[in-house]
Amino acid sequence: MKAVLRYLAAVAALMAALAPVYWLVTISLKREIDQFAYPPRWIGFAPTLQHYVEAFGSGSFGMYFTNSVLLAAMSTVAALLIGVPAAYGLTRFEWPRDWNNRIADWILSTRMLPPIVTIVPLFLMLREMHLINSLLGLAIVYTGFNLPFVVWMMRGFFAEVPREIEEAAMLDGESRVGALMRIVLPLVKPGLAATAVFCLVVAWNEFLFALILTQTNAAMTLPVGIASRVTQYEIKWGAMSAAGVVAMLPVLVFATAVQKYLVRGLSLGAVKG
Amino acid sequence: MTQRRPHLLGASGLPWILPAVAVLLALSIYPLIYAVKVSLTGPGGAFTFANFARLAGDRVFAAAGVQTLVLTIAALIIEFTLGLALALLIDSLARAKSFFRAGLLIPMLLPPVVAAVAWRLIFNPQFGVLNGTLRELGLNTASLLWTGGDRSALASVILVDVWEWTPFLFLLLSAGLQAIPPEPVEAARIDGAGAWQIFRDVTLPLLRPVILLALLLRAMDLVRIFDQIFILTQGGPGTATETVSLYIYRTAFRFSNFGYAAAMSFVLLAATMVFARGLAQIMRPRTAGVR
Amino acid sequence: MPRARLFWLRVFCVRVGLLPVFCLLLSCNRASERSLTIAVNAGVEGTALKMAASEWGAARGVRIEVVELPYANLFEKEQLDLTSRTGAYDVIMMDDPWFPRLGEEGNLTPLPRAPDADFVAPCLDVCRNPYRTGKYYALPYVGNSQLFFYRGDLFTRYNLAAPRTWDDVLAAARKIGAPGNPPNEKMYGYVMRAASGNAVVADFMPLLWAFGGDVLDSASKPACDSPAAVDALRFMLELGKYSPPGYAGFNADEVSAHLLESTAAMSINWPAWIAAMDDPAKSKVVGKIAFAPMPSQRVPGVGELGTWLLAVPAASRHAADAFDFMFWATDAPQMKQAALRGNPPTRRSVFQSPDLAAKFRAFPVQLASLESSRPRPRTAQWNEIENAFGIYLSKANASAMEPAAAMRDAAHDIAQIVNRGR
Repeated sequence: MKAVLRYLAAVAALMAALAPVYWLVTISLKREIDQFAYPPRWIGFAPTLQHYVEAFGSGSFGMYFTNSVLLAAMSTVAALLIGVPAAYGLTRFEWPRDWNNRIADWILSTRMLPPIVTIVPLFLMLREMHLINSLLGLAIVYTGFNLPFVVWMMRGFFAEVPREIEEAAMLDGESRVGALMRIVLPLVKPGLAATAVFCLVVAWNEFLFALILTQTNAAMTLPVGIASRVTQYEIKWGAMSAAGVVAMLPVLVFATAVQKYLVRGLSLGAVKG
Repeated sequence: MTQRRPHLLGASGLPWILPAVAVLLALSIYPLIYAVKVSLTGPGGAFTFANFARLAGDRVFAAAGVQTLVLTIAALIIEFTLGLALALLIDSLARAKSFFRAGLLIPMLLPPVVAAVAWRLIFNPQFGVLNGTLRELGLNTASLLWTGGDRSALASVILVDVWEWTPFLFLLLSAGLQAIPPEPVEAARIDGAGAWQIFRDVTLPLLRPVILLALLLRAMDLVRIFDQIFILTQGGPGTATETVSLYIYRTAFRFSNFGYAAAMSFVLLAATMVFARGLAQIMRPRTAGVR
Repeated sequence: MPRARLFWLRVFCVRVGLLPVFCLLLSCNRASERSLTIAVNAGVEGTALKMAASEWGAARGVRIEVVELPYANLFEKEQLDLTSRTGAYDVIMMDDPWFPRLGEEGNLTPLPRAPDADFVAPCLDVCRNPYRTGKYYALPYVGNSQLFFYRGDLFTRYNLAAPRTWDDVLAAARKIGAPGNPPNEKMYGYVMRAASGNAVVADFMPLLWAFGGDVLDSASKPACDSPAAVDALRFMLELGKYSPPGYAGFNADEVSAHLLESTAAMSINWPAWIAAMDDPAKSKVVGKIAFAPMPSQRVPGVGELGTWLLAVPAASRHAADAFDFMFWATDAPQMKQAALRGNPPTRRSVFQSPDLAAKFRAFPVQLASLESSRPRPRTAQWNEIENAFGIYLSKANASAMEPAAAMRDAAHDIAQIVNRGR
């Protein structure tokens, strides 16, 4: 009996978690008359794909989508290229007076800067470099977001690989870089993949910097595009929810792929999960 | 391996970290220096403490600070309680654990903008499904304005945050629960302790590091909350849901007062750094095998 | 991993990383072709302009990009673009109260030639910096000045004359909104928007002016704590008793929804909404809404001006095309076309055009209202002042503050804002 109650409670919690998402999906698939129907229709409505066509066909959401994809990819690749060696350097070498931890702490602290603090100076800095309203400018900023994350995650993964393995390789004549690339990296491949996915998700979901640093449709990302449809009058629920559904799908797919590392990623590497 | 390690001695990690450090310096130090400069500049470019003086007496900022605190504490308490309850619940299920876990995580994985949009849809007093369902159940929803109501707006925002981020606490606490070795629990049960006693005296203490970590991480994010509120209410109605981040945003971009916004953001920075220090202590990884 | 595979993996990664860079470089070339980026309000005001823009662009071979943003964010984006001279926008659409702020310090390019006299005078006055006397920096496109909307059919039913004063309005609201009158039909006598910020201030100004009050006096000191102003606020609360519950959080769409759904009998509203009132697809009261000029009280009533202007930022790289488009779009034939698309005109000749008279029965009243309309105070700090004022007005309407106390605190905050701007 107790077990049944527990399962019921779990199902109730699951429904509470998924109902809003489900509702968003249904709004994106309902005709406009059905969207505001009373009583609200959870099932039993005629579905239509018109909102998706409207948003991504004639609307600018196709461009927003492409921008988000490019941005996520660029910033992740850059963050990995810079961050993985940094993490390696901090874990594998002798550092005087605990400097490696201090530097790592400082790197982590940059992640904790409230975005609103740095947004205006960054805007001005990027303007000087003529990178406002450009994907490259945003990519640089996003790389800055992802770097601390990469460093902290990979530190944990590298720490799990015993030093002896590289040392053995190096005694056999391997260079330091070679040992890293050919011996250590393959060992932390799952961790690398998980870190990459987290970087992609962070870049994909980011809002404030994209809001301020983009000015025209050519550079706007999906979150910004969705937000700009939320107006005082006549909110286009259909197009907005269609865009929302498309915005959340990649994240859900990727997150399920790295389920094993979800805990470690979210706690920035502090909790093994 | 007992031989010396000639390759390691004298090698430096410095070149490995330089690119990362350079990028981060450019993206964090320069903005901070600029923010300091602009907060100390008055109209006409003169050096002045006026912005900070104004900060001390600004009722609106104080109100925003209070609202941020209320939001943070309320959300934290609710999310922690629900998250812990869920973690214990799912942990106690015999089967389908990973199925439930996967489903419960979804709110947290969505882009915050999308979650906020979904809830805006739901909260709409006339067409939203929340009032619609309540009306179906016979309730009078005329005064249920959710994000549109002066008094209910903050509660609505907290509700959205709880919905979105309880999975985070659930996940972390779940992982913590699973990492607890079974021996102490078994020993306590053999000694005749009841379920509540075991939980209070054995489980909770072992869970403490993870709890602390989860609370600090979440608190740090709550203090700087922006995205969801921007979409849900833009700080309204009036200033009912205006947190510090939103007030800074409004001062900078709607009133074009960058100096004052910079001054305020240092207060926010200080608050975040308090949490960051605590977190950094907890989070240092140890070498292979030792945790 | 074999060396060869690793090598190719590295090459692949580098290529993938460079691909977006190439795309960016390619997109940079597009800057050389003729294009025009227009920042538009996401709402009924922007609809006609968008259509005009795409027509003009197609005819001239200019690529048009429209950036549509919600009201508040439109201001923020324009402000940021103008002050940091990023040149992202070539034509911007701005609400006239924004003009003093956006038009300061050479942010906008002056018009190459003065607009002709066919434009309604109050609309042109707000395009000049300084107000009414200076150079022209913008052209008016959306001729919005407030009208009083009321249910002509209900007024006939209850033998009420068209409201001339706010007392008339209150009396009518009492009569029409009396409970059980008519049975089975919930009708509120009045509806207004009192959501904090632009909404409540825009709806309060006509009432404030009708009582002889104002936000700032001639010396730019706050005057909202004057007895006349407090009386105006008290009157607003009185009207609020006959408004739907929750009106303290209403914006324009809620007000219009109540009119369209036939659940409210009177309101202040913008002409941009007239088209919806007579649209059978949206309205249950087609042909029943009548329009009157703003009621008087202690002084003759004036409608508040809320015209949308078009301007060219100083940093725009396509100024010639931008002005070409602006003058074309505000030309008489184009204004007529825009009127047919629901845009309130800013030209006298369009209001008086015989072809449109049949379709737009409210044009005479609109023109009269526009010609006698009054703009909100011309100050670069209007955004902050409106924000502060709006908070207290909304609080009073939500019964969270006494009117006198609300006005006193509002005056205090506005004084601080004005002093900071000196």
